[in-house]
Amino acid sequence: MISNGIIGKQHWKKSLILSAILATLSLSGCGGDDGVNGTNGIDGIQGATGTDGVDGDDGTSATTDPAMITSSGFAFPADAIFVQPHAIDGDDITDELVLALFEVPAGSTIVMPQGNFIVSETIAIAAADNITLTGYGINETTLDFTNSTGDDGIRFEGGVGLSIRDFTVLEANKNGIKVVSANGVYIAYTGTVWNGPLEEDNGAYGLYPLQSQNILIEHNYAYGSADAGVYVGQSNNIVIRDNVAKNNVAGIEIENSTMADVYDNVAIGNTGGILAFDLPGLIQAYGGNIRIFNNEVIANNAENVGSGAVGIVPPGTGALIFSVSDVEIYNNNFTNNETSSIEVASYFLANDDVNAYPTTYGATMANGWSPLTKNIYIHDNNISRSGANPRGDLITDIVAGYTLMLGQTMPAILYGGIGESLANSGFIGGFNAIVGADAAADGVNYNPYTTKDLVCASGNIDSNSAASALEFADVNIGVVFTTDPTTPVLESDTVQANTRLLNCTQPRLAPAVVTFRGKKYGCNGDDVATLACAL
Amino acid sequence: MSNTLPASNTVNITMIEITKTQKSRSLILAGITSLLLSACGDSNTKSEELPVIAEPEPTPIVNSINNNAGGPDQSQGDCDAVTEGVNWNALMTETCRNLSDYNLFEDNMNPTENPTNGGVAFNLAVPLFTDYASKYRFAFIPEGKQINYSEDEVLDFPVGTVLVKTFTMPANTADRDGEELIIETRLLIHRESGWVARPYYWADTTDAKIAITGKTIEGMTTTHKGELKTFSYSVPKASACTSCHSVVPLIQGADDMRQPIFKPIGPKARNLNIDHVYKDNTANQLQYLSDNQVLIGLPADLSTIDKYSQFSDDDNLETLPHEQVMDTARAYLDINCAHCHRSELTIPEENYAGPAGGSGLQMEYNRDYAENPQRFGTCKIAVAGGHEDYPADVIPGSPESSYLLFRMNTNIQRHRMPELGRSTIHQEGVALINYWIKHLPQADCSKP
Repeated sequence: MISNGIIGKQHWKKSLILSAILATLSLSGCGGDDGVNGTNGIDGIQGATGTDGVDGDDGTSATTDPAMITSSGFAFPADAIFVQPHAIDGDDITDELVLALFEVPAGSTIVMPQGNFIVSETIAIAAADNITLTGYGINETTLDFTNSTGDDGIRFEGGVGLSIRDFTVLEANKNGIKVVSANGVYIAYTGTVWNGPLEEDNGAYGLYPLQSQNILIEHNYAYGSADAGVYVGQSNNIVIRDNVAKNNVAGIEIENSTMADVYDNVAIGNTGGILAFDLPGLIQAYGGNIRIFNNEVIANNAENVGSGAVGIVPPGTGALIFSVSDVEIYNNNFTNNETSSIEVASYFLANDDVNAYPTTYGATMANGWSPLTKNIYIHDNNISRSGANPRGDLITDIVAGYTLMLGQTMPAILYGGIGESLANSGFIGGFNAIVGADAAADGVNYNPYTTKDLVCASGNIDSNSAASALEFADVNIGVVFTTDPTTPVLESDTVQANTRLLNCTQPRLAPAVVTFRGKKYGCNGDDVATLACAL
Repeated sequence: MSNTLPASNTVNITMIEITKTQKSRSLILAGITSLLLSACGDSNTKSEELPVIAEPEPTPIVNSINNNAGGPDQSQGDCDAVTEGVNWNALMTETCRNLSDYNLFEDNMNPTENPTNGGVAFNLAVPLFTDYASKYRFAFIPEGKQINYSEDEVLDFPVGTVLVKTFTMPANTADRDGEELIIETRLLIHRESGWVARPYYWADTTDAKIAITGKTIEGMTTTHKGELKTFSYSVPKASACTSCHSVVPLIQGADDMRQPIFKPIGPKARNLNIDHVYKDNTANQLQYLSDNQVLIGLPADLSTIDKYSQFSDDDNLETLPHEQVMDTARAYLDINCAHCHRSELTIPEENYAGPAGGSGLQMEYNRDYAENPQRFGTCKIAVAGGHEDYPADVIPGSPESSYLLFRMNTNIQRHRMPELGRSTIHQEGVALINYWIKHLPQADCSKP
């Protein structure tokens, strides 16, 4: 009934040796801070991420031995642990990978072999300390989880200074690479891919840091997720740059997170390109200070096959700012997004049972979650060919309001302002009693909007917006509002105009800074002199 | 049956009296011992002093658990060492190849009974479901060491403790004392640096071998309620243990470098607060540990301690009292979900949560449902994943539309919960939670 042996006999001997080595290393390496700081691995990372390329500013000379360097130019340190270096395409490297990563010593670099390999279980790595998990490159090392019995592909639980780079995770059952509760997460030159058409049983999140700090996600490729390709949740101090998110439900999503910069990315072919959400009921109740700039947001028109929170995103959405405050969206190129290029909405769009909020969301509202969206500043974006085929269950009535009732093109910038209407009418002022002291001190309230709370759009450029040119000379902006907040089901009115609406400005937001292994990244770090950061 | 009743009653009464006498005496002893221990720690002298001071006490020591059991002595362990009792030092420092190297059982081919001196068997009122497997649990406590009682959390086991759990698959779940296949033995070892997990796999009947990489056993079978179940049984990898057995830091800022903390899950007071049949008597497990001076701080009045109702696959939910079923459902969610789905509350370390606390679903037994039903999934939209047919985790009154129940009732990896250790659906657990959801108070998302 039971197949013999734990793993084949030959494997067994090898793994014993390996685990013995690991055990010795971990014992002797307990206090080994020196090992962490002094290894070439860290220099290599810094070099690779620097604008100058492989050698970076640390002067680590690049090796020319192809066995010792990734395609992105990361040179392995001399003490790197090589997992199955002679494995050939199609080998199952699960056991060797598990052994190499089990109670892995601080400062280790673990190198996965070159080729396409089968992994048949979730790879879980707990409490790792300054380790680097690398392959030979995003196209050179592929871990295929098609037949895995686990859920996530790779999962880090806790950890400090985690570097994940230079490989691709294919067809994970659930999430591609999940990292929970870590401080210092660097994911680079890494792919998460679900091939074929975008379908609901593709995996959930691609790259998925959760409840973490100091997150740098760059030069990655996320394809085919039925949720978000790149997702950061309940985290702080985040830089997401130079990634490509393609053919996911959500391309890049920032949820209940603060101090996040999203720039120089390409979001193409998703249902929604770039999303910023605050969802109710989470431990980190709300986020904010999110900057989305200098991204290419192209043709995000995939049908929504997602479920849960992301299931509401209307197909054809460039960016969706939902129930979150303090967001700046600027100098992006939005092209060919068929519903709307930029949508901003309060949570009342998803749940309009206003009177039920205190019972349904009371506890999370006490912690500062708010359905409202405030201080959103949309400026200097370049918008082309927006609204050619508006749709989406969430906004069926709004789409009908514009296209059928008013006979207009769908607005390129759409503001679902019912929340603001409710606040301004004083109808939800009573919610202030729910807000806890900490959140209130942080500015969470349900008072009428003041100048600093406004959603503003200015200086956006209508770049060959053929569909809208008939009606408006400028970027067309729509606002949904209600004049009678007392109706049980909120009656909404829509209005559309060009720069007459949302015509205001807001103060610029502060850049995010990521500190990883002692070095600063982002617009106040290694990118201080770049074009994007000067915008 | 009726003939034997009076006799057994008499026996019981006698035993209760014995227990009471033992208790008062051992409480005093426990108090003395704990004083001695703390004094030893301060003066940096080791336990050699203990017997010297204890010797003048004329009464025999009431401890049938770990008297003369020895313990780790801080020296490097040796898997090949031949020890009379438990090979404590090897447990503390080594990952031995063979389970027998630790000498945990009198018969090293049988990890289901007769632990070496220092070990005591225990059961849980409501266990984690693992594919209808039977589980044999033992706690090994070094001589002279004690467990500190905790009201809501796992009992505070001393360094040196080894929790040993052996999984077997009965041929028929109706006869768990009958034929069974010994599959795996998992050790949780409390070392100086914290808890570690070491899984051992019984490839044959002579000994179990370390299985860091786990093991998938195809074609596992058991007969349950007349139905032959065939499935793939998964012995988890050692690294997978942390997925359930840890709390993770709720990171409090850019400079917060705290790491996860590994913890046992099952042996909480509320889950141990049941009777157990020992060699000499039947007793409440907590009381037994306390009487044997192995547990300190147990409240004198056991009725003040939370207590799960025992849950059996043979229970008929329709004939049990409603309140008991609702309470048992909470116990079931506690042990099957809340090791991950928990946050803060009574976790002793500040700003820690279970690994899935971030999902917003938190289902600890000691969390007040009414205070915030959304914590239990009520009307809560799934944050990650989700399924279009199940709009919220829990929709009171509508278990058929509740995502939580769907996840318990599917084997699709994307949706399956719990994530680990389950290849079959626990139909009785599903029925229990179905009942709970059906009878929860109506909420905003409930169907009118």
